[in-house]
Amino acid sequence: MKKSYLALLLLPGLVFLAAFMVIPILLTVGSTFYHESRFTVEGYILFFKDPYFLKIVWTTLRVSIITTLLCMVLGFPTAYYISRQSPRRKGLLLALAIFPLLTSSVVRSFSWTIILGKKGLLNNTLLSLGIIQEPLNILYTPTAMIIGLIHLFLPLIIITLVGVMENIDSDLVKAAESLGASRFSAFCKIIIPLSVPGLIIGGILVFVGSLTAYTTPALLGGKQRVISTFLYQNAITLNDWYLASVIATIMMFITFIIIALMNKLATKLNPKGS
Amino acid sequence: MKKWVQGLASLTILGVVLAGCGNAAKPENTGGADNAPKGEATKLVISTWGFSADFFNKELYEPFEQEHNVKIVVEAGNNADRLNKVKTGSSPVDLIYLSDYYAQQGIEAGLFEKIDRSRIPNLKDIYEVAQAPLGEDFGPAYTVGQLGIAYNPEETGGKEIKSWSDLWSPELSKKLTIPNITATSGPMILDAASRAAGNTEFNEDQAMAKLKELNPGVVKYYNQTSDYVNMFTQGEIAAGPIMEMYVKDLKTAVPGTKFVTPTEGAYAIMNTVNIIKGSKNKELAEDFINWHLSQEFQEKAAKAKIDSPVNMKVSLSAEEAEGITYGADTILKLIKLDMKFVNENLKNWIDRFNREVTQ
Repeated sequence: MKKSYLALLLLPGLVFLAAFMVIPILLTVGSTFYHESRFTVEGYILFFKDPYFLKIVWTTLRVSIITTLLCMVLGFPTAYYISRQSPRRKGLLLALAIFPLLTSSVVRSFSWTIILGKKGLLNNTLLSLGIIQEPLNILYTPTAMIIGLIHLFLPLIIITLVGVMENIDSDLVKAAESLGASRFSAFCKIIIPLSVPGLIIGGILVFVGSLTAYTTPALLGGKQRVISTFLYQNAITLNDWYLASVIATIMMFITFIIIALMNKLATKLNPKGS
Repeated sequence: MKKWVQGLASLTILGVVLAGCGNAAKPENTGGADNAPKGEATKLVISTWGFSADFFNKELYEPFEQEHNVKIVVEAGNNADRLNKVKTGSSPVDLIYLSDYYAQQGIEAGLFEKIDRSRIPNLKDIYEVAQAPLGEDFGPAYTVGQLGIAYNPEETGGKEIKSWSDLWSPELSKKLTIPNITATSGPMILDAASRAAGNTEFNEDQAMAKLKELNPGVVKYYNQTSDYVNMFTQGEIAAGPIMEMYVKDLKTAVPGTKFVTPTEGAYAIMNTVNIIKGSKNKELAEDFINWHLSQEFQEKAAKAKIDSPVNMKVSLSAEEAEGITYGADTILKLIKLDMKFVNENLKNWIDRFNREVTQ
C-alpha cells in the first residue's frame, strides 16, 4: 500500500478530534476575547489583578507541584525495583501498580475520608497507641488533597518510568563499575540521567492530572478552593460562562507553560537524551 | 515487549481521561419506556429530582395516567441541570419541579407559562404561604419544609441549642458545618447571621462579618445535604443547619440527634411546580398540579415521610407527623425569604462570601 493511502487511516480519528476537541477549545478560547460583541481582554485583566483569584491559582499550583514531586520521589525507587525483575514478576508487579487506576476516582477519594477523618483509621490508631492526644486535623485540608492525588496519580509515573528504565542497557552499569565507579555513583551518573525522559513525561501526566482534578479536591479539600472547583462554581451555579471560559483558558496556558519548562529541564539534565 | 508498553501507555492515558472526567457522567432517567398504550395517550413530560421514584410512580403518576389516559415521562436531575436544560430548549418539558430559589431564576428567564388558578380548585385548601410563593402568575409550592438546626448532644458538651445565635457558641467550634452560599439554604444562613448580629432588617455587611467570625469553627461548607449526612455519620461534625426532612437519616446513625426550630424562626424551604412556556398540554398540566395538591395524595406523601404536606385538610397523628413539617403552628411561623431579592443579590453575595468569609 502507498504511504499516501496510509494517511487516510488517520482521517476518522482526526475528524472526531477536530469536531469534539479542537473546535470546542478554539471556541472557548475565542469567546474569552470577544465579550458583549467587542474585542476585549478585560476578563484576564480582572483575573490577574484580583488577589482572590491569584490565591486560588497559587493554592492549585502548590498542591500540584508538591504532588508531582512526591510522586517522583515515591515512584522512582519503585519503578527501578520493578524494572530489575524477571519479566513474569515484572508483569505481576506492574499489574498491582496499575490496579488503583481501575477504580473510579470518586471511590478512591471517598475512601480516604474514612481513613483520614477525626474518627478515622489513622487517628484511631495513633490515639490508641498514645502517639497523639488529640485527633489530627487532616481531612478537609490541602494535605488530604495531596494524599488523595498521590494515590490517584502514582501509578502513572511508575508505568512511565518502568517503560524507560527497562530499556537502559544494564551493561552500562557493569562497565562503569569495572572502571572503578561505586554502585551508588553508577546509579547517579547512569540510571538517573537516562531515566529523565520517563521522569519528565510521568511528571507532566501527574502535574496536569492534579491541576485539573475535580473530584479529589471537592471531596477531600476543605474551605480552600482550587481552580477546578472554582471553575465549576462559575459555570454551574452562577451560570457565568464568560468567567468560566477565562479560567479554562488560563488553566490551559498554565499547563503549556509547565510542560515547556519541564522539557527545558529535561534537556538540561540529559542533553544527549530524547 | 514494545506492544506491551504501548498497551500500558494507552491504559495510562485512559486513566488520566477517566480521572479527569470522573464527575462528568450524569445518569439520565427517562422513567419508563416510551411505548404508549393503545388509544393514543397524550405524553406529559415532567422534570423533577428523581428521589423516591418508586413512590411517585405508584402513587402520583399511575393514578393520573389511568384517569386522564396520558403517559407520564420523567426527566430526573438536580435543580441547576434541569433548569439549564429547559433554558437551552433541549428537552420538551411540560411541568418542572424546582426549589423556589431556582424557580425564581426560571421566572426571570421567562421560561414559565402563567397558570390559570381557576382550574386548580385545590389551591384554596393549601396554606396561603404555599399558594403563590413567587407571585400569582406562577405555580404553587406543593411542599414546605423547614430549615432548622440539628446536633448531636453527646458531642456538643451539654450545650443546648435553641437559637440561630447558638451556632456561634464556642462548644460548636470545629464541629460545625454550614451550607455553602451557593446551596439553596445558603442565603437563609446569611439572613440568620444578620439576625444573630442583632438586626431586624437584613444587614448585608454585618451578616458577612458575623459569618466571618464563624468561619474558623466551620469544618466544611456543605453543598448537598448528603454531604452533611456523611460528615455527621462519620463524626466529622456534630451540628449545623439542615432541612427537617433529612433528620431521619441523621437519626439512623446517631439516635440521640436533636432537631430544633430556632427561637428566631426556622426558614421555609419551598418546592414549587411550574408549567413551561409553550407546553401543548397546559390544561392537563394544571389538572396534574391540582391532583398533586389534593388531600388524598398529600396525605399519602406525608405518611410515607416523603414530603411535608401543604394541604390544610391533611390530618396526621403525632407519630405520623414525626420528622415532617406539619401543622399550622409550625408552618405559619416559618420565615420566608424574598426570592426576588435573593436572586438580585446572589452574585454579589457569593463573591463577598468567597472573598470575605471563607478566606
